[in-house]
Amino acid sequence: MTADFTGRRMLVTGGAKGIGKAAASRFLAGGAQVACLDMDEAALAELEPGFVALNADVTDTASVETAIAEAAARMGGLDGVVNSAGVDLQSSLEDMTDAAWERLIAVNLTGPMKVCRAAVPFLRVAGGGTIVNVSSGAGLQPLKFRSAYSASKAGLQMFSKSLAMELAEAGIRVNAVCPGAVETPLFRSSIAEGETGDAQLDAVRARYALARIADPDEIAAGIAFLSSAEASYVTGVALAVDGGRTFH
Amino acid sequence: MQMSTRFTDKVAIVTGGGGGIGAGIAERLLAEGAKVAVLDLDAGPLKAQLADDMAARLFAIEGDCTDLGTLEAFHAQVTGELGPIDVLVNNVGQSGRARSAHFHESSEEVWRFVLEISLFSAMRMSRLVAPAMRERGGRIVNMSSDAAFVGDAGLVDYASAKMGLIGFTRSLARELAPFGVTVNAVAPGAIRTRAHDTMPKDVIDRIKADTPAGIVGEPEDVAAAVAFLASDEARFITGQSLLIDGGRWMI
Repeated sequence: MTADFTGRRMLVTGGAKGIGKAAASRFLAGGAQVACLDMDEAALAELEPGFVALNADVTDTASVETAIAEAAARMGGLDGVVNSAGVDLQSSLEDMTDAAWERLIAVNLTGPMKVCRAAVPFLRVAGGGTIVNVSSGAGLQPLKFRSAYSASKAGLQMFSKSLAMELAEAGIRVNAVCPGAVETPLFRSSIAEGETGDAQLDAVRARYALARIADPDEIAAGIAFLSSAEASYVTGVALAVDGGRTFH
Repeated sequence: MQMSTRFTDKVAIVTGGGGGIGAGIAERLLAEGAKVAVLDLDAGPLKAQLADDMAARLFAIEGDCTDLGTLEAFHAQVTGELGPIDVLVNNVGQSGRARSAHFHESSEEVWRFVLEISLFSAMRMSRLVAPAMRERGGRIVNMSSDAAFVGDAGLVDYASAKMGLIGFTRSLARELAPFGVTVNAVAPGAIRTRAHDTMPKDVIDRIKADTPAGIVGEPEDVAAAVAFLASDEARFITGQSLLIDGGRWMI
């Protein structure tokens, strides 16, 4: 069952792959118009024709503003935003370069700010709307050697909550979801080949009470709930969809 | 209300489902196709709000959720008539607000009542459904409160019971995860119910002022979240506490 998104105009960053694509697909199935923003041209090209596919780099203000204006123009406005674009970084502190740290913060934390800043005027025009930021269980409970990632995702949660206060009067709800490990290209890129990879996967599974890795659609279910009218009294929460790791 | 069939042929129990938020939850699960069993001292308000097609799937017993024997008999009757339980909503709870007092003046008798009805009833009912759920999976949703997180002067016993439910939720979630059972809590803020309507205006005004959304929620808001957590949609969510409070808590 998919929540009803009839008449809604949704925008999803990182919408061509992984969790973002799964969320975008749910919105589309629920009757929404959906714009997928991504910087992966090949993945954008593979999206089915129902989506508005737009190339955008969330670290670039002009690119974000252009893409969001175009999405709003093509859909006749905007009612909802999902910030799903994100990158991972595994590094010890001593190995951390300024460039790697800054890149991660630019995508995972500053990116959603740029997207929200550009999108909120459209949501105000629509008389309200929803924002869901894809944080991470690592933003609730830290992961070793992911200091930058954990900090960016914790920051994204507090960004969401402060924004929830700021935008409540405008009828805009802002929430976060906090996935654990999800079967996505981003997650796969963090796992080695062969036996080392198998051991890594076992260790990852062991972190979760449900002892498995999520399907992107399971995270999308949480995003869809928070984006739907079903959650009309829910704002400022960080909902963990993590198979039981953080117990938030 | 959105009609769908997420719970067709499912059997759900909603304790304290006769009125208020519980009735909203029972109605929502019925609307989505479930057979719903309710145990409450008074099931009248729920029955009065149901359409005939939904009432036909309601199994209402009037009884006291704090009494172990009553819970056992209810569980036996429900499973006998409807089959094993797919969804348990431990909704029953009471603040005893009419009896609220400064903590130093509060009585153990009231503490016991509040803990019995708000925490022990959930533990007892969960213990009854757990054996079958360990065999075939299931969903348990516990009714906490944002009072547990925010704290509530004058309602120390209630907030304690509701935070107890959070520990209960997390622990049972860990214990039952290997069996395909998820256990979650919802924590509503101010919701428009009979209990809420009898609160002094200054208390309601204070809560509204603390709530970014600036409004009081409806039982349907809680019911929608419970239905989500009880559905297959939320199969990867367990051990969590979902605030439905218009942004009052946010931590």
